[in-house]
Amino acid sequence: MLELLLSKYNYWLYVILMMIGLYAMLAKRNLVKKLIGMNIFQTAVILFYVSIGVKTGDVTVPILPYGHHHGHEQAINVAHYLNPLPHVLMLTAIVVSIATAGVALAVLILIYRRYRTLEEDEILKINQEAGT
Amino acid sequence: MKTFILALIIIAGSMLIYGTQDMPNWGDPQSPASVHVSPYYIKRSIIDTETPNIVSSVLADYRGYDTMGETTVIFTAAIVCFLLLRRRDEDEGDR
Repeated sequence: MLELLLSKYNYWLYVILMMIGLYAMLAKRNLVKKLIGMNIFQTAVILFYVSIGVKTGDVTVPILPYGHHHGHEQAINVAHYLNPLPHVLMLTAIVVSIATAGVALAVLILIYRRYRTLEEDEILKINQEAGT
Repeated sequence: MKTFILALIIIAGSMLIYGTQDMPNWGDPQSPASVHVSPYYIKRSIIDTETPNIVSSVLADYRGYDTMGETTVIFTAAIVCFLLLRRRDEDEGDR
């Protein structure tokens, strides 16, 4: 049991972080807090992917210590460099999460200009009063 | 309602934690993510792209189409923000 905990604890931490974000998205009434929850959720996914690329042992970042003029003859030990692929994918994912957050904040500004509030229940009440 | 959401989240979280039993251990060099294409990138990056930084060579060379789509996403988000937030004179400013 302790061995399982020590070998998988990173996933457990990210599951906890992801559930915090999901709770904020579902239970909070303020739309900005929902947006913050969405960002926490995305951060949990990004950390999960980055932790997949980790290798233990004698490992450095995936940057080769020599240029292209020399070093072709050196054999590259794959186990000596971190997995670069999750880093690349998460670079893309961070950009996409920033883009979605920006569009969501723009929509929130429009909602505030129309309703003068960002509380979800007050907005629904205003809509009901306008409908009847 | 809050207790229902809390129960839902505890169920979802415990299912995810149950699923991590099949995941590779933290830092395992033989994990499935590290044995398929990533050894090819690490070995061939300096020969194919002459770039010491493997992350940038994968981002801009091997997976250049991915990065092009990413710039499309940023461009679309910028256009959407511009269209949403611009002042519309005919609306008498009540938006």
